[in-house]
Amino acid sequence: MNVENPSILRFAWIWLSLGFQSFGGGTATLTLIHRAVVEQNNWLTDEEFANDWAICQITPGINLIALTYLIGKRVCGVPGIIVAAAGLLVPAATITVLITALYAQIKHTPLVQQALRGIIPATVGLGFISAFQMAKSLINSDTAHGPGNIIIGMALLVLSGLAFTIWHPEVVVVILVAGAICALYHHLVARSENGSVTE
Amino acid sequence: MNPLLFFAIALKASLLSTSGFGNVPSLHHDLLAGHWATETDFGEAMAVGQISPGPNGLWVVSLGYLMDGWRGSLLALVAITIPPILVLLLENLYRQVKHHPVVEGFIRGLSLAVVGVFVVVLFGLLNRVGIDLKSVGISLGAMVLWASRRVPVVGILILGGGAGILF
Repeated sequence: MNVENPSILRFAWIWLSLGFQSFGGGTATLTLIHRAVVEQNNWLTDEEFANDWAICQITPGINLIALTYLIGKRVCGVPGIIVAAAGLLVPAATITVLITALYAQIKHTPLVQQALRGIIPATVGLGFISAFQMAKSLINSDTAHGPGNIIIGMALLVLSGLAFTIWHPEVVVVILVAGAICALYHHLVARSENGSVTE
Repeated sequence: MNPLLFFAIALKASLLSTSGFGNVPSLHHDLLAGHWATETDFGEAMAVGQISPGPNGLWVVSLGYLMDGWRGSLLALVAITIPPILVLLLENLYRQVKHHPVVEGFIRGLSLAVVGVFVVVLFGLLNRVGIDLKSVGISLGAMVLWASRRVPVVGILILGGGAGILF
């Protein structure tokens, strides 16, 4: 969309305020970025934002940082990448360290130890939600290619967890093997679908 | 721990994952194997990552601080900002090959395995505080509260802490 490119100072200011405000992890941050970029400043349309977010899903590393780079480049070029990333991450990382430092000071008190026996299970619960959401979207996208893809998707999910539990291999080995198996499967399905079309 | 080794491990974990907590399994495996971090460090850092501003992935910055102070957190921050730069290359490439079955399949397989291993790691974290009625109940309670969409993540963790003290 790119209605009007902002000055680099204004662009930096907006990302800096996101870096200070977005308490509550990734979901809060994504919501605030969307609001600032699409709703308040019209730099991107909803569709452009969704497309960029999709590309970030397959980019190595933290996808919100990748999204920050992409939006920075679209709106203000290379300087935009730098100010967007610095604006978001410097305050957010500093606050993260300060919270950790404060916590490290009091972590051995009995009250904090008791609280941790509740906070860690709650974190695990939220982690299971993240895992479920990721798995659901991956399995759902498999339905487009029929039940065979759902079965292979679920099998890879379960078997990779089992393999990791039983043999304790390097994680990279598990995920690369799973990637290779799924790539081979998709290749064979595509070939058979093309074959049946040409027949 | 050698700071450069920590940086390399954090960079590798980030390169081989695609979300905020996707790097948990790799870091967990490498750092625990070398006895450089504990299960507790992971649980605490992940909790901080969900409360603090910015991406959940900043939990690594918290882990870096717990392991090596400000130097560890700075190294972690630099390590997690490098791999996403690839998005600038992928943006062009992805539009051309995203519908290629092999690429689609490889990314899907990779992501499924990350989730499978992540679930195992989560069970390990829960095991650290003891898998009993209390911990499982708090985990389930957190999931229900999240699904209700009425309580922010910070509130869920505070309630979890309160339940830990009370019960």
